[in-house]
Amino acid sequence: MRKLLGSFTALVLAALYAPIVVMVLFSFNKSAYGIRWTGFTLDWYLKLAENATLHRELGNTLAIAAISTVASTVLGTMAALAARSAFRGKSLYTTLVTLPVMVPDIVLAIAMLSLFEALSVPLSLLTAAAAHTTFNLSYVAVVVSARLQGMDRSIELAAQDLGATPWHAFRKVTLPAILPGVLSGAVLAFTLSFDDFVITYFTTGPGNGTLPMRIYSMVRFAVTPEINAMSTVILAASLALIVAALKISRVPVAGGGR
Amino acid sequence: MKGRFLALLLPPTAWLAVFLLLPTAVLAAAAFSADGLQALGRAETWLLFWRSFWIAAVSTAACLAVSYPVAYFIAGCAPKRRNLLLFLVVLPFWTNLLVRTYALKFCLDPLGWSDTGAVIFAIVQNFLPFMILPLYGSIEKLPRRLLEASQDLGASPARTFWKVTVPLTMPGIAAGCILVFIPVLGIFALPEFIHEPTRMIGGQINLYFMKLSNAKAGAALTLVLMTLTITLTWVYSRFKKSEGLV
Repeated sequence: MRKLLGSFTALVLAALYAPIVVMVLFSFNKSAYGIRWTGFTLDWYLKLAENATLHRELGNTLAIAAISTVASTVLGTMAALAARSAFRGKSLYTTLVTLPVMVPDIVLAIAMLSLFEALSVPLSLLTAAAAHTTFNLSYVAVVVSARLQGMDRSIELAAQDLGATPWHAFRKVTLPAILPGVLSGAVLAFTLSFDDFVITYFTTGPGNGTLPMRIYSMVRFAVTPEINAMSTVILAASLALIVAALKISRVPVAGGGR
Repeated sequence: MKGRFLALLLPPTAWLAVFLLLPTAVLAAAAFSADGLQALGRAETWLLFWRSFWIAAVSTAACLAVSYPVAYFIAGCAPKRRNLLLFLVVLPFWTNLLVRTYALKFCLDPLGWSDTGAVIFAIVQNFLPFMILPLYGSIEKLPRRLLEASQDLGASPARTFWKVTVPLTMPGIAAGCILVFIPVLGIFALPEFIHEPTRMIGGQINLYFMKLSNAKAGAALTLVLMTLTITLTWVYSRFKKSEGLV
């Protein structure tokens, strides 16, 4: 029985990874069409490197991710810290903070778009970054909250009893204790933002596209080895971010995903 | 103490008021307009909802059927192996959904597999980690002695599985189902990549906004989708009592 389960698990893992491996492999294929291997080449990557539009789109992707990571890490950490206290309307507050994670991303995207259109705010990198901040705030709050749950509050209170100001106690006791959670929340936020397609697609301005948006429009046009190369680059970047997150903390295994 | 609490509470709350509640209110206002209501009055809209619903339901069921044996196997492994397997399961879902979907399209297209079945296969392949993780979480907590007791009392392995294992891992099953079902209801790029005619509700919303420039109709569909998913989450949270944000 166990042997059977083991083989089945191996099969499922193969199904998870095989398409990705094939896609990466064919980003090095000479032939521009189909899946017949005709020889190794780096041409498609060189083509990417020469493409100025892609450079700008990479810049846009990173800018949106950076802005929303900073904003959501600060706001999300605050939200998690506030949720430690007992207060009236707390369950409502908890629902509000986790709401962006609970609805499909297209709902959040359309709601944001409706707001910007109603207020005649022109769509730009900033509107996309604001939308990203909303969903990232939730993820950061959840990750930091998980970290806070394992924390002994008495140390913090002891620091205050011993005469530390609340701010001092926060900086010297609370912050160091939750820092791994905050940092892994930040890396998670950056990764989600970097990988996001749906929210950016609806909330960014014309000419402010990102790499995932480029993939979307290219795939709709035709399947080419260039898309394979670009996808491989995005994949590699995501993997580097995960390794960074795991180095910082072992918490976020169950986080993320979009 | 009170001042510090408010200083922590106010900024995120203000942000969410402006960038979550206000947008939702604007969305609702747009939905309850002539164009919005007209879209909701069309039979095609409800057919689309129905299609999205059953595709999500079938995908979730398939995900569960595939994930349960995998989670069960992982939970029974030695710690080192277990961590490696969990890592391998989780790794893909840290990567771009669009890239993963494209990779699958790249493999399926030459095989000529492009129909609703392929869409469901792609969904299952992409959302497996969401199901495996919560299942693993509750299978791992399963008290061995209850399984042994059941067997000692003469239950067959199958009976033990259905009468003991499955009921005890219900929290994981429910969490996994909700984690798969809700995002799947809202997908739009995946069906478009794998089989364009299998349009789901997300695809229609996209069409209303980007091609038909009928934002009000798009808003109406989005509001219904939002109400559906929030109701589902609410029903789920009735069953599962939890404190804090996690």
